[in-house]
Amino acid sequence: MPITSGHETETPPKLGGGGPGKISRRRGYGGDDGDHGRPDDFSSSRSRLRRYRVGVALFSVCVTMLFLGIGSAYVVTQGMGPWNHEAGSRVSIWRPLLLPYRQLWLNSLLLIASSVTLEFARRGMLKKQEFSTMGIRPPRFKTEFPWLAITVVFGLGFLAGQFLVWNTLRHQGVYLGGAASGSFFYTLTGLHAVHLAGGLAVLLYALCGDWTGRKFESQQIAVDATGWYWHFMALLWFGIFALLHFARG
Amino acid sequence: MEERSTSSTAVSTPGFLRRCVFSTDHKVVGLQYFFLSFAAVLIGTVLSLLMRIHLVWPTVSLPFFGTIKPENYLAFLTMHGTLMVFFVLSTVPQSGFGNYFLPLQLGVSEMAFPKLNAAGFWTTLLSFLILIAAFFVPGGASGAGWTQYPPLSAIANSGPGQALGTDLWLVSMGLFCVASVMGAINFITTTLKMRTPGMDLMRMPLTCWTWFVTAILSLLAFSVLLAAVILLLLDRNAGTAFFVPAGLIVSGKAVAQTGGSPLLWQHLFWFFGHPEVYIAILPGMGVTSHVLSVFSRKPVFGYRAMVWAIVAIGFLGFLVWGHHMFVSGMNPYAAFAFSALTTAIAVPSAIKTFNWIGTIWDGRIRFTTPLLFSVGFVSLFITGGLTGPLLAQPALDIYLHDTYFVVAHFHLIMAMAGLFAIFAATHFWFPKMFGRMMNERLGALHFWITFLGSYAIFMPMHLLGTAGHPRRYSELTGVQYVAAMAPLQKFVTVAAIITMSGQIIFLVNFFWSMFKGPTAPANPWECTTLEWTLPSPTPAGGFGEHVPMVNRGAYEYSAPGAETDYLMQDAPGS
Amino acid sequence: MAIALLLAILLVILACVYLFIAHPVWFPAGVSAHAAGVDHQFAVAFWLLGALFVAGHIALGISLMRARRRGKVTYTQGDWRLEALWTVLIAVLFFGFNVAGVRLWSQMKFQQPESDAVQVEVTGTQFEWYFRYAGADGKLGDTDAQRFAHPEEGNPLGIDPDDPAGKDDMVSTSLVLPVGRDVDLTLRSNDVIHSLFIPAMRFKQDAVPGMSIHAHFRPMQTGEYEISCAELCGTGHYRMRASVKVVSEAEFKQWVKSKELPSTAK
Repeated sequence: MPITSGHETETPPKLGGGGPGKISRRRGYGGDDGDHGRPDDFSSSRSRLRRYRVGVALFSVCVTMLFLGIGSAYVVTQGMGPWNHEAGSRVSIWRPLLLPYRQLWLNSLLLIASSVTLEFARRGMLKKQEFSTMGIRPPRFKTEFPWLAITVVFGLGFLAGQFLVWNTLRHQGVYLGGAASGSFFYTLTGLHAVHLAGGLAVLLYALCGDWTGRKFESQQIAVDATGWYWHFMALLWFGIFALLHFARG
Repeated sequence: MEERSTSSTAVSTPGFLRRCVFSTDHKVVGLQYFFLSFAAVLIGTVLSLLMRIHLVWPTVSLPFFGTIKPENYLAFLTMHGTLMVFFVLSTVPQSGFGNYFLPLQLGVSEMAFPKLNAAGFWTTLLSFLILIAAFFVPGGASGAGWTQYPPLSAIANSGPGQALGTDLWLVSMGLFCVASVMGAINFITTTLKMRTPGMDLMRMPLTCWTWFVTAILSLLAFSVLLAAVILLLLDRNAGTAFFVPAGLIVSGKAVAQTGGSPLLWQHLFWFFGHPEVYIAILPGMGVTSHVLSVFSRKPVFGYRAMVWAIVAIGFLGFLVWGHHMFVSGMNPYAAFAFSALTTAIAVPSAIKTFNWIGTIWDGRIRFTTPLLFSVGFVSLFITGGLTGPLLAQPALDIYLHDTYFVVAHFHLIMAMAGLFAIFAATHFWFPKMFGRMMNERLGALHFWITFLGSYAIFMPMHLLGTAGHPRRYSELTGVQYVAAMAPLQKFVTVAAIITMSGQIIFLVNFFWSMFKGPTAPANPWECTTLEWTLPSPTPAGGFGEHVPMVNRGAYEYSAPGAETDYLMQDAPGS
Repeated sequence: MAIALLLAILLVILACVYLFIAHPVWFPAGVSAHAAGVDHQFAVAFWLLGALFVAGHIALGISLMRARRRGKVTYTQGDWRLEALWTVLIAVLFFGFNVAGVRLWSQMKFQQPESDAVQVEVTGTQFEWYFRYAGADGKLGDTDAQRFAHPEEGNPLGIDPDDPAGKDDMVSTSLVLPVGRDVDLTLRSNDVIHSLFIPAMRFKQDAVPGMSIHAHFRPMQTGEYEISCAELCGTGHYRMRASVKVVSEAEFKQWVKSKELPSTAK
């Protein structure tokens, strides 16, 4: 974010809570909305968008911690086992999984594709919103909606694909309530699916915005925030996939 | 500003429900959290009273309760801990006062995500109701302690209350985690993105700093607790074995699960649990710094050092969880690191204590109730804090672990100090919240009873600990050397009964002042921060059209050359 | 009000100091080899922290005493030099204290027990402690609680009846130890977490299901000492007691003999 110097005219204070305060260069108002010299209007779409982006970033941190918690439990459990005194090493009781790699890669491709299509939608809508704040009303608001629809289809495809993966594993005799490797597999992928479904719900909400009378501005913010969240979900998926692959025992 | 007023306060004359119940106004949400905690603290206090009575007079029959059985005692103990830690100490200072005053002190009229904020409260309320519901299910509430160590908490027939009661506890905690994360996202975004012009980070009141850092801790810690809670729920209900090892036989029944580790829960739980201690106490530290400065008419001594100490405590708080596990069977080498890091936390804490004393040193102290409670906070913080470096030593902790010494330590430093900060904050901000002043005489009386009472309750507990009295014993008769300590336990119970009766003074003062107290002026304490530029009580629209321009830091008291002994943050000039 | 507050602080200092000097209840006499070191460290801790407690409260009291009603207040934002001095001072004090404690910890945990140590397997169950000795062959038999545990048939730990090593194992509900010899405990649990706490030995160790945790100490005085459970294990947690009987070497041998007879006859 560019740093504005629009407020240097204010009298610099002599005393700050922590000694003389600095004011000449500060961020947080003015900002890049081309609106220098006026304090930030927190209900402007620009400001809301920035806030939602921060919110999504923070939420991603929180989801990362959730998965780090379970992921570290996975790594620890995988290395556990009774100590064999004669051999001087641990006896592994971990039962490795036979991951259905073909299915998993197919799902991954679907997820990447959905990320790409959502990015098209996000960028297009962002541009229109920018024009609209400048007072230029773009002729057609809806040109990005097909991209959104495709993303939703891909997302649903990914979830369906995950469901098929679980089915495959179930046929191999891997259950949630069985060996630890299976428990972790279902828990990690299941929680990821739940989080992705949340993103999907927001996309659907944005898509249906027309019928529920939402303003384009709100739809755009929803799509933008979900866009970043969706990319994070894709990254997270590859993190989980890597964990399941490299620490499969 | 026109756009702003349309966003949330569009309804011209909203009805009572809209205004006071289903509101997204941060002030209403803050008060909702405040009163929810009020309910929680009343229940939690009654539970502790019942426990104290049962401990020394096990056969006494109480009105409404009858005789308390050992399993009731354990349920009370678990619920007392959970209510107090989660619904009181993590809720009032952060979600209650934080929601109300963070935006006002930053000079804005709403949170970054008002709807998310309200959703956070309703989730917390739901979580609270589910927790309380556990009292009424067959088997009663969970009796595994607020730490819920598996396998005790993982296997339904390991005791009464370990069936549905524990499931409800876990669901309640899961919801609480979600709500906390919602609140934390809101707090952080508000602090980063919504500050009024001129409100530099280094000009924020220390209260805002502590709310901000606490929100970061909540964000990181509660996510990990959520992970642990999900895994334990799966262990209990889906047959997984994350925390259940092979070969168990509980209450004569073989447990089918194999392959988990009970220590895993302890690591996950304390990775959350230790930061949780700071989530509970950091806002209290902020309030104390703030109040001491206001009533000493002096700037906070070493503002920057205070800020860095807050950040350091928050950071180190994530690296010390192992000091809860010195006797757990964890690798003894890990104890070195955890011991040293825990000792390291004592350093920023000592800096803060030094600065509090530096702040009131040579000040023109106004002995109001908030100041009394803040001085009490400093005293309790010194007393409770000093046993920290002792417990951080694995060789000594081996003896004291899970004894009353630890109970005394964390009650002084977290519970009592936290409570004193809550009382200070309540007296301090009461005029801004309800437009009336609280009674100073009753406030002082309440302070004396509570201050001396806390010492009378918890100092002897240190001795019980040194004599090896394990905690969480529902009766003293089981072990002979414990039975010998009954007289001291009786003393503690009597002190507790007196101190708790003293809290009635606070209740009376609070509710009487709410309706009958003298009307408060806009700035009764002559404070510098932005919330005091508004009339009392705070109008629904907050600052409304007005955008405060901040010209100086938050603690300009007795500045040389100024006309008054305080300079408002938004007053023009320098 | 200032004076009342001062008096209260004085009262707190005096009462707390008096309480710790008079100590109506206190540590039981330490009777293990490492107890002296632990008690010394405790003494250091109480003196150091007690001094800081008194100093802190006196400083708080003085700062209140210096409160003035009117007149000018020195406007100060803080003093970096004082701040740094205090930080260094407190860091040196606390870390010095910490290093001493860590040394004690290494002595307790990283010195192996002597080779002639008595081997005892401790098993916590709700709400009873069992102590198993290996018997004449010096080997503990395999156990499988899920298959063989029958407390009512005298096999609470589930010793495998087909394992020859387990034939002469003896199970006791009290811990009998010879004086002056190391004891190497192996802590286990069959249900939930328990914690073996022997205050007189300055000893505590959790017994975690699924783990076999080794811990050792050396009793130095004969006598009987109480064991309690220090980890919440359920309704009967408060009465999960046992005792350690420290006896002379000869008495210990005799006790072992008397215990061996019935189990070999079985």
